[in-house]
Amino acid sequence: MLVIRAITLNDIDPLIEMARQVGSGMTTLKPDRAMLGERVETAVASFAQTIAPEERDYMFVMEDTSNGRLAGVCAIKAAVGLTEPFYNYRIGTLVHSSRELGVFTRMDTLYLSNDLTGSTELCSLFLMPEYRTGYNGKWLSKSRFLFMAQFQHLFTEKIIAEMRGYQAEDGTSPFYEGLGRHFFKMDFNHVDGLTALGKKSFIAELMPRQPLYVAYLPDDAQAVIGQVHRSTLPARKLLEQEGMHYEGYVDIFDAGPVLQGRVAELRAVRDSVLTTAEEGQPDGECEVTLVSNTKLDDFRMVLTQACDGGRKVALSVRELQLLHCQPGDPIRSLALNVRKNNG
Amino acid sequence: MYVVRPVEPADVGALETLLAASTPGVHTLPRTREKIAAFVERSVASFAAHVDIPSEESYLFVLEDVDSRELVGTAAIHASAGSNGTYFAFRNDVIQQVSRDLNISHSVHALTLCSELTAYSQLSGFYIRNQDTAGRESALLSRARLLYAVLAPHRFGDRFFVPLAGVTDDDGQSPFWDALGRKFFKMDFLDAERTIGGARNRTLIVELMPHYPVYVPLLPGPAQAVMGQIHPSGELAFDLLTEEGFEADEYIDIFDGGPILQAHKHALRSFSGSMVRKVANAELQPPTRGGKAAMVTYAVASSERKFRAIVLPCDPAESSEAICLPPAARELLAVATGDSVICVRI
Repeated sequence: MLVIRAITLNDIDPLIEMARQVGSGMTTLKPDRAMLGERVETAVASFAQTIAPEERDYMFVMEDTSNGRLAGVCAIKAAVGLTEPFYNYRIGTLVHSSRELGVFTRMDTLYLSNDLTGSTELCSLFLMPEYRTGYNGKWLSKSRFLFMAQFQHLFTEKIIAEMRGYQAEDGTSPFYEGLGRHFFKMDFNHVDGLTALGKKSFIAELMPRQPLYVAYLPDDAQAVIGQVHRSTLPARKLLEQEGMHYEGYVDIFDAGPVLQGRVAELRAVRDSVLTTAEEGQPDGECEVTLVSNTKLDDFRMVLTQACDGGRKVALSVRELQLLHCQPGDPIRSLALNVRKNNG
Repeated sequence: MYVVRPVEPADVGALETLLAASTPGVHTLPRTREKIAAFVERSVASFAAHVDIPSEESYLFVLEDVDSRELVGTAAIHASAGSNGTYFAFRNDVIQQVSRDLNISHSVHALTLCSELTAYSQLSGFYIRNQDTAGRESALLSRARLLYAVLAPHRFGDRFFVPLAGVTDDDGQSPFWDALGRKFFKMDFLDAERTIGGARNRTLIVELMPHYPVYVPLLPGPAQAVMGQIHPSGELAFDLLTEEGFEADEYIDIFDGGPILQAHKHALRSFSGSMVRKVANAELQPPTRGGKAAMVTYAVASSERKFRAIVLPCDPAESSEAICLPPAARELLAVATGDSVICVRI
């Protein structure tokens, strides 16, 4: 069976192993022992609440209990941009209008911004290829929303998720080729690697500080602004169903969209149910449901069948064990799928 | 012989004929009779005006073929660019990109909409018929306006600039405009020029043109290629002006990307190299030892109030107090022996 749980220091080695499979494109999960080790320590301290809320980085792993292997990982960074600048382009609008000429031109512009500083970020989602079946991907991604629903007070009002931007067949980013390359004079992967290493000062040094008119960019660069990588489309859709949306912020390198949401407006916050664990068999009309315990320092979650919109959760002995729960303990549940018909 | 003189009301008809043949796209010349007449009227008033601070005056000079009494060229100078408005241009900026962490250092060019040329004096309207075959009268025509400024410095600024027409194709399309202005104005280059009347001081420029720097590497290749390049019709003017001391490269036109040459007056040869000399009678002077070979070509101009300028070969006047002019030259300049003139080598 699979369980999603708070990461522990024992997970560092398997995590590095997993990071080797991630490949380029995910800047927060590189197979660097020093970096990942430090990150896991931060995560452990976060769950233990021994560091300040804004410094926290909650990492979760999906573990296959049948063989003890890690199947996936995901994280919630409590606040971005507080130690090093967090950059995005904001798509703005400038209207150039002349009554005298009867010309009214609406121009999209790119503003280099740090507007999202302090936001809570959903990041570092990766599922091992052999586990990309059934509900695993969905569950892993949505597990973070249930965690936030349970511990709302730990997060800032704004949450964001950076989505990987569009890439052409040959792996190049049309947006980067049309814009960043002129200023960085190096390949996209190289730039991406530098940001992963936290060397972000070059962005301020090399990127144009003044707003740019989108109309100056080549057509293929304009076309991909706010577009995700093809393989990221399902992930985007999933986050949008949970209450996040694109509001005109994009990555400065590949123009991938930043999805934004407010904690209070998340489906998980609105629809998740705090109830008590029972031992037994699901009975009646059930649906696939995320069920977690309510312990921050030992957070655990399973995917199971639950009835009555998650208000009645009958768990097997095995599931109770995975949750580290006894019957009668508080649990929180959330239907995996968005109800099509909310009547 | 040729003479450059201020335009007169009687010249309107001849100017209309002359300018009808000029190339479209050279945006500083009026073309209709009505506008030509207005320009002439303004020039006449400007020459007659008592000026304390240079302002809206525009001075139009014509080149006259003395033998045929035909007008064969024009050249103008505006006392203060922008005419109390703001003269807009793109400044060529170089932004140094340095990252110490990455050991990167390179420069990026950017165009910034600027108004620094406002209140410079602006040379414009240089047109000469048969420019391919024209001789030193073209140099006279270009330079005469500056000699007038030397004679009447209070009428002009300390700095001068000259916009030259940029590159357009046979259909009048401008690659620079297509990459930039068109995106904001939503019209063809010539339509825009017609609409705005060639002006660079209109409010609608602020309303429509980009306020933020245009990063040159983001412009398409053809637009980059024509930045600061002159229309073939402007080559003669460009050569004359750079010889005079004007410098290109710092500013370009916001519409067609053509070069805007500029200089402080001290950098211009008409200012730094002109001399005041008494007129002497060439026939009464002993022939110079070197004979004709030692003669040098001078542009000679009379005075602010009765301005005339001619070009002719004379004995060198550098080490003399006088310049020897033959009777025909004195007649064209309307000066007598003993009068002061200014002259500069061409």
